[in-house]
Amino acid sequence: MRYRVRHATEYSYADPVSQSHHLAHLVPRTDNGQIVAARELRILPHPAFRRERIDVYGNRATYFSIEEPHRHLAVESRLEVEVPRAPPPPARSAAWDEVAARVARDRRADTLNAFAFAFASPCVRLSPGLREYAAPSFPAARPLLEAVMDLTRRVHADFVYDTRATNVSTPVDDVLAARRGVCQDFAHLTLGCLRALELPARYVSGYLRTRPPPGKPRLVGADASHAWVSVYLPDYGWMDFDPTNGVAAADEHITVACGRDFGDVAPLRGVILGGGTHELSVAVDVEVL
Amino acid sequence: MSSVAAGPSLAEGYTHRAGTFDELTGGGEVRGHWRTLLDELAALGPTEIARRWEHAQELIHDNGVSYDVHGEGQGTERPWRLSPVPVVLSPDEWQALVPALAQRARLLELVLEDLYGPQHLVHERLLPPELLFGHPGYLRACHGTIPGDGRWLPFYAVDLVRGPDGRFLVLSDRTQVPTGAGYALENRIIVSRALPEAFRACQVQRLAPFFQTVRDTLARLAPRNKDNPRIVLLSPGATDPTYFEQAYLAHYLGYPVVHGGDLTVRSGRVYLKTLGGLHQVDVIVRRVEDALCDPLELRPDALGGVPGLVQAVRERAVAIANPLGSGLASTPALLPYLPAIARRMLGEELRLASVPTMWCGDADARAVALDRLPALVWKPAFDVTRVHPIFASTLDEEGRQRLRARAEREGAGLVAQEAVALGSTPALIDGRLAPRPWVLRVYLVATADGHAVMPGGLARFTRSADGFEVSIHRGGFSKDTWVRSRGPVAPFSLLPPSTAPITLSRGGGELPSRVADNLFWLGRYAARAEDMARLARIVVPRLAEQTAERAPAAELWPLCRAMLATAHMSDGALPPSSSPDALTAYEAAAQAALEAAEQAGSLRGTLRSLQRVARECRDRLSTDSWRVVMSIETDGPLAPTLDALVVTLSALGGIISDSMSRGQAWRFLDMGRRLERASGLVKLLARTLPVPCERSGALLEAVLEAADSGMTYRRRYLNRLEVAPVLDLLLTDETNPRSVMFQATALAEHVAALPRDGDSAVRRPEQRLVLEVLHALELADVEAMATVDPGGETRAALAALLERLGAALPAVSDSLAASYLSHASVSRQLGSRGDAR
Repeated sequence: MRYRVRHATEYSYADPVSQSHHLAHLVPRTDNGQIVAARELRILPHPAFRRERIDVYGNRATYFSIEEPHRHLAVESRLEVEVPRAPPPPARSAAWDEVAARVARDRRADTLNAFAFAFASPCVRLSPGLREYAAPSFPAARPLLEAVMDLTRRVHADFVYDTRATNVSTPVDDVLAARRGVCQDFAHLTLGCLRALELPARYVSGYLRTRPPPGKPRLVGADASHAWVSVYLPDYGWMDFDPTNGVAAADEHITVACGRDFGDVAPLRGVILGGGTHELSVAVDVEVL
Repeated sequence: MSSVAAGPSLAEGYTHRAGTFDELTGGGEVRGHWRTLLDELAALGPTEIARRWEHAQELIHDNGVSYDVHGEGQGTERPWRLSPVPVVLSPDEWQALVPALAQRARLLELVLEDLYGPQHLVHERLLPPELLFGHPGYLRACHGTIPGDGRWLPFYAVDLVRGPDGRFLVLSDRTQVPTGAGYALENRIIVSRALPEAFRACQVQRLAPFFQTVRDTLARLAPRNKDNPRIVLLSPGATDPTYFEQAYLAHYLGYPVVHGGDLTVRSGRVYLKTLGGLHQVDVIVRRVEDALCDPLELRPDALGGVPGLVQAVRERAVAIANPLGSGLASTPALLPYLPAIARRMLGEELRLASVPTMWCGDADARAVALDRLPALVWKPAFDVTRVHPIFASTLDEEGRQRLRARAEREGAGLVAQEAVALGSTPALIDGRLAPRPWVLRVYLVATADGHAVMPGGLARFTRSADGFEVSIHRGGFSKDTWVRSRGPVAPFSLLPPSTAPITLSRGGGELPSRVADNLFWLGRYAARAEDMARLARIVVPRLAEQTAERAPAAELWPLCRAMLATAHMSDGALPPSSSPDALTAYEAAAQAALEAAEQAGSLRGTLRSLQRVARECRDRLSTDSWRVVMSIETDGPLAPTLDALVVTLSALGGIISDSMSRGQAWRFLDMGRRLERASGLVKLLARTLPVPCERSGALLEAVLEAADSGMTYRRRYLNRLEVAPVLDLLLTDETNPRSVMFQATALAEHVAALPRDGDSAVRRPEQRLVLEVLHALELADVEAMATVDPGGETRAALAALLERLGAALPAVSDSLAASYLSHASVSRQLGSRGDAR
C-alpha cells in the first residue's frame, strides 16, 4: 500500500524564544521493507544548524537548532511511503517461554540486538502488577504470536481510550490502575507486560491509515501520529501489534522509528530558552495513493 | 598480633588487629620507610606536634576547605577533617603499583571504547548482555561518539585497600567524575607546611608534576586550538558536596568554574557566555554527572544542563573530560568480568585484582552469594557514588531475610563483595599512634601513550579501631599520602612563588554573565538588607513604645510606609493614620516587612536571598566575606538582633568590596550596591518628605539616621533640623558617600567602563539613563524643593523629582540586565504526544 503523509507541528510562544534545540524522529526507517519514495522536512524559521544521523536503534534522527529570536516554530514532514504487506506469520510460532530463554542465551547478532529490548526503560518500569496482568495470556508453552495477539486484544478490550486521563509522563502502573490512556500508554503498558516476561519488545512510532465513517468524507489533517509495539520472534524477526486497536499490523501501519519507549523516538522534542507559555497544534494527514 | 616494643614514645603500645596488614609494622618491626617520619615526629614531641596541628587547623578553616555532607548548601558543610600523620609508602611498593594501575586504566578505557562502539564484549559474552542493556548508566545517545583525542578516560581514580597478605586490592573504580584530587593536593599543602622537617627528610615525591600532566593532557584533548585551548570546569554549582574542591582545582589549574547556564551550543559548537560576548570552548572538565549534561538528549528533567551538548560531542567540536557516558566503566557489576576481559583485550593477566565481587544478575553467582549472605557486603550494582553498602554481618535475621528477598527479586541491581579485613595505618589518637583501618584513593591522568599516576593520594580512615566503613561522607578522616623517592626530590610547584606576579590564563579574565549577575544581586541584597535593618531599627522600637491610649507620634506613619516600600510591599491597604485601628495595622505591616519569610522582599527574605547568591558566587568571595555572610542568623526573630545586624551588614559592604580586585566582577557588585542604595534612599525620601509632617524635627532626625548621615549633618548644622539642608545632604551633595548624587556618580563611572561591542561613540541605554539621573540631581534646587506649595499641602517639586528618580533607577537595572545578564532565563522542555487510535 502506498501512502502520502503530511505531519505538521506548530508552536506559538507568548514571548520570544531566544534559542531552541530540537530532536526530531520524523523520517521513516527503511529496514523493514518500507520504501520511502519521497520525503521532505520543512522547518521555519530556518535552523542555523541541522544534522541527520542514524541513531543507535537504526532510526533517522534530525537535530536542529534555531538561533534567532522567534515566536513561532513550524515543522512539517511530507512523505510518500510504500508499505509492503507483512508476510504471513509462521503457522505455529515457538512457545513464548522458550523464546524468552533462547534470546537470553543466543549469541547470534540479530537475537542479541533484539535482547537489548527485553529490559525496563525510562518510560517502561517493570512491576509485579504488569506480570500479573499479562499472565492469563501467557500460559506455559503457548505459541508466542498467539499469546501476544491475545494480550493485544485484551488491552484493547480492557482499556478506555481517554486523552484526558494521562500525560506524557504518566507511569505505566498508573495506566494499569486507571485502565485509561492513549496509544502511547497502551504501547508502554503492553511493552511492560512483555518485558516483565523477559520477552524483547520495542516501541514503534508512526502513522495509521484511518477510514472515515461510512458515507462521510475523509477529513484532511484530522489524523494523528500513532504508537504500537513490535515483538521479536527468533528466526523470523519483528512482528507488530497494535494494542490501541487490538490488531496485528498488516499494511496500514506506517513505521517511522523504533526504540525502547516514547522517550527514544518522540516525533519532535525541544529545549527552548525563553518563550513564556506556548500553544501547540499538530495536524496529521494520511492519504492512500 | 604484633607490637612495637622499642619504638619512639609516640608508637608505644602500638598493636594492630590480628589478621590484618599494618602499614607501620607489616606485622613485625617498624618498616624501614617509616623510620624517618617516626624519628622526626619524636624529635618534635607531642606538644609541638599538637601546637603545629592547631595552627594547621586554622589554615584549613581559613582556606575554607570543606565538604558539604548533605549536598544542600544549607550550612551543612563540615570543615575538612585531616589527620597530621601521613601514610608513608616505600618507593619499591609504589613502583610495583604504578604499572598495575596504568594497566587497569587502559583496560577500562578499552571497555568503554568497545561498549560505546562495536560491543564485541557483549557479542562474545565476555560481559553478560543484560549487564549492559539493563544498565541505567549506559547512555544510548552517546553510542558511536568519539571522545577528544580518542580517549575515554582522561581521568581515572580507584579506591584501594590492603588485604591481609599485604596486597593492594581494588574496592571500586571511579570513571564518572573522579573526585578528590583537589583535596589530596590541599592535604599535601597543609601537612607539608605543618611538618616541613619530616617532609624534607622523607624525600617525598611531589604532586605538582602530575597536575602539569593534567594541563598538558587537557590541552591535547582539544579538537582545535591545541596551543591555547579554552578550558572550563563545568560544576553542578555551589550546592554540590565537593564544590570547594572544584573551585580549588579550577583555580590551581587556571580554568574558570562555569555552570550549565554559562554555556551555550550554537551551530554544534560550545560557547562560554561572558560579558564580552561568546567565546568558543574547546575542553570541558566535567564535574556534573553525565546524564545531567544535556536535557535534549539525556535526562529531560536536567534543565541545568547544556542543551545540544551531545550533538557538539558528535560534531567533535568539544572534548569533555571525562566523556559523556564514561560512568559506565565504574559499574561494580563489571568487577567479576575484568580478569577475562584483560586476557581478551590486552592479552595480559589483570595485575591489580578487585575485591572478590559477585554480580547477582548472574544466576550462578547469585546462588553462591546467597549461600554466604551474612559474610558479604552488598552494594548497588550500577552506581558507585554516595552509596551506602550493607554489611550483612550487622543485620538481624529480619534484615537478612529482606536482603535475600531483594536479591532474589531484583538481583541484577546488586553486587555482593567479600568483606576484606582492611589493613590499618597509624593515626594520631589522643597524642599516641594507633592503627586504624584505611582506604586509599589514587588518581591517574591520561598521557600521550597511557596513564600517569599521581604519586600519593587521598587516604581516609575511621576514628574507631574496628570501623569497616571508611568514607568522608560518613564522617571519616583524611590523610596525606607520602610516596618516598629513592633520591633527592627536585622542587616543582604549580603554585606561583608568592613574590612573582601571577600570569592570568586566557580563560581566567573572562567573567561569565551568570557570575556578573550573581555579584550584581549580591551587591543589591547586601545594600537592601542594610537599608531595611537601619529603618527597622528606628521604626520597631517606636511602634513598641506606643500605646493605644496615647496618639502615636506623627513621624511614625511615613517611616512605616517607607519600610514597606523598601520591602517591596504595598502600603495601599493601610488605613489612614486617623483611623482607630491604624496602630495595629501598621504594627502588623512592619512586622511582616521585617520577619515574614514568605515575603521575598522582607528583611528575612532579603537576608536569605543574600546568602543564596553568596553561595552561587562563593569562589569570587574572600573567606572573610563568606564567613560574615554565613554568620547571619535568619531563622530566629530578627527584631532583637537589629543593632548587631546593622553592624554586620555595614561591615560586609566594606569587606567584600575591599577584598576584590577592581575588575569587572567588582564593578557589577558595586553597581548593585549603588543602585540599591540610591533607590532605597529615593523611596525613603518619597515616603517621608513631600507631605509636611507636624513633627518635622523628629521625622528629619529619623530620616538622617536611616540614611546613616546623622553625624555628618550635625557636624555641619549642629542641631537645627531643616528640610533644605537635609535634602542637600541626602540628594545632591556629591561629597556625602550616602547621597543619591554620590551613588549616581559612581554608577556613571561604572557603566562607562563596561565592555561593549561596536561603535563606542554611541551611548548605551544604561549610560543615557544614569546621565539623566545625574542631570536631574545637578539641576535640582533644594531650597525650592523644600518649600511647601502655597496652594497645596505638598512639596510638589520634590515629589516630582523623586518620582522621576524612582522610575529611572529601576530602568538602569533593567537595561544592565538586558545588555549583560540577559541569559538569566531557564531552559524548558517542549514535547507532545500523538493521539491516534
